[in-house]
Amino acid sequence: MKLSITGVGWTTAAGIGRGRQTRQFSMPEGPLPVLTRKAVFDTPYQHFGRLDQFSKLGLASISMALKDAGKNTGIELRDMAIIVSTTYGCSQTDLDYFDTVMTDGGKSASPALFSYTLPNSFLGEASCRFGLTGASFVVNEFPPVGLSGLKAAMDGISFNEFENALVGFCEPGCPSGFENNSGTAPGALFFMIDRIEKSVHPPYGTVELNSRNDVLFNGKQIRDLVNLARECLLVKC
Amino acid sequence: MGMNVFVTDCAAVTALGSNLEELWQGLMAGKTAIHPVQRFPVLNYRSRFAACIEGLSSAGRSSMTHDLLNRLVPQIRGVPTDAMLITATTKAGIDNLEKFKRGAAADRNDILLSSIPAALSETLALENIGFNISAACASSSIAVARAAALIRNKRADAVLVCCIDLVTEFVFSGFSALGALSARPAMPFDKDRNGLSLGEGAASILLMSETRCRREKRPVLGQLTGWGISGDAFHLTAPARDGGGLIRAIRKALAMAQIGVDEISTICAHGTGTIHNDSMELAAFHSIFGARKPSAYSVKGAIGHTLGAAGGIEVAIGVKSLSEKCIPPTVGLISPEEGARGLVSSQPQKIEGDYLLTTNSGFGGVNAAVILKRGQVS
Repeated sequence: MKLSITGVGWTTAAGIGRGRQTRQFSMPEGPLPVLTRKAVFDTPYQHFGRLDQFSKLGLASISMALKDAGKNTGIELRDMAIIVSTTYGCSQTDLDYFDTVMTDGGKSASPALFSYTLPNSFLGEASCRFGLTGASFVVNEFPPVGLSGLKAAMDGISFNEFENALVGFCEPGCPSGFENNSGTAPGALFFMIDRIEKSVHPPYGTVELNSRNDVLFNGKQIRDLVNLARECLLVKC
Repeated sequence: MGMNVFVTDCAAVTALGSNLEELWQGLMAGKTAIHPVQRFPVLNYRSRFAACIEGLSSAGRSSMTHDLLNRLVPQIRGVPTDAMLITATTKAGIDNLEKFKRGAAADRNDILLSSIPAALSETLALENIGFNISAACASSSIAVARAAALIRNKRADAVLVCCIDLVTEFVFSGFSALGALSARPAMPFDKDRNGLSLGEGAASILLMSETRCRREKRPVLGQLTGWGISGDAFHLTAPARDGGGLIRAIRKALAMAQIGVDEISTICAHGTGTIHNDSMELAAFHSIFGARKPSAYSVKGAIGHTLGAAGGIEVAIGVKSLSEKCIPPTVGLISPEEGARGLVSSQPQKIEGDYLLTTNSGFGGVNAAVILKRGQVS
């Protein structure tokens, strides 16, 4: 089954961006931009400042992908899935939370921080913010190329499990004390995957699987999601 | 729809038994493994109870996940080396984060969720490393659904699903801080329920295409005929009160299985014992089944809430329930709340029919429903 890529959005050390706004996508090493509500959202979002960094990174990038696909309007419920790959996920939040546990034998354990010690927590935030009622889950694979999540999204759409899907990765960076083996710079990148006939804008191209389960974009094999983003922007140019 | 997905092997390690048969016998006898916690101090928390596996320990720098997987792996039978691997965990070896923060030697890689498929694929000598799925308490039911999707889409003809989670101070303190722990052992669907009890465990489910299953003359323990996953889009940690998300998940599963509600014989409910979860589930079941009341049960009063492992353990128990034509009692239930009367029981019940619905819901507002069919049914 061929599906369309109708939106691309990201947050990397190079900035916050989306496919129809720029000609380049890059994932350089370096600090990620400070994510404020005003930098990301056009409308009020009181929660945003209280989210952990992992959630802010993911939500900002999801918001950009939706905007790029022309699907950021309205708050009506829609059967859209969110599937995200990550290596370190919310590990930094885990460390921060456990500091509150160790402070005085657990008496001061922070319920607010604990709520974000699941890597799928920000998917719940996105679900509430954008009215998304499809499947949502996190994929942890090594090496972290993100294609398992993309394939799961393609399966789900083909089985009518959900109408369309946001697929991507969210890597806030290696927490201190951990071995950095993710092989990618910090950042997040999301794609809007839709049925061909459902595009608001002309799509970037189509994705499909060949008989060896390789992912093809416009007939060309892709290695990972970064590669896919670059191919999408090349098409646009 | 599409090809059949067969369950050819199940295994489980829980606090109520070191294998699936011991777990089943314990459940049917109405036993509970929820006892005072000895593993870490609980004085400052809302509860002192959890279902911990006896003797589970960590060796040197390793997480306890290694000990638990070492108890599970010998029970997993007949996994072909070309099987795909999907694991499910919410916190993997988070006990090692505790050790690390307290200055003890700890392998930090064990903390990463991808450590579980990496360890299992090496131990089982699988050709694929596989991947992990994390979706709070629905992690392993979603993993089972993705495995079935791989088979139905002819992208795999054998998929091993393994799920695991531990009782740790990290998780215990968090649920305590959220006010979700019950001061006494959990009482799912009881009118006096007041929270959940944590548990730990691991399970495996080997799924195969009908073609491969028949060719290799594998036992058919059950079939996976439908699944549905949905989001509440309501709240980060609280379920939608009207059960709307779970209703959507169940309707999707029924549609995929191409069966009507009347064909569901029994429900393995998430049944955590929290006020809001159980009320939400009852609202969903009443909306779906109307006046008809299929029997339902929760195992969380017996083995605790095993978080990301819950769905997988419950699929293994569900396959056994269909095979034995009976369901376990809901341990901890004394006086069902009004909406649960006629639905759940503190006694084992016989069941007729071929289909079992199992459901899980979790943080992030995620809901999953899986429909199992009795094995060896034409």
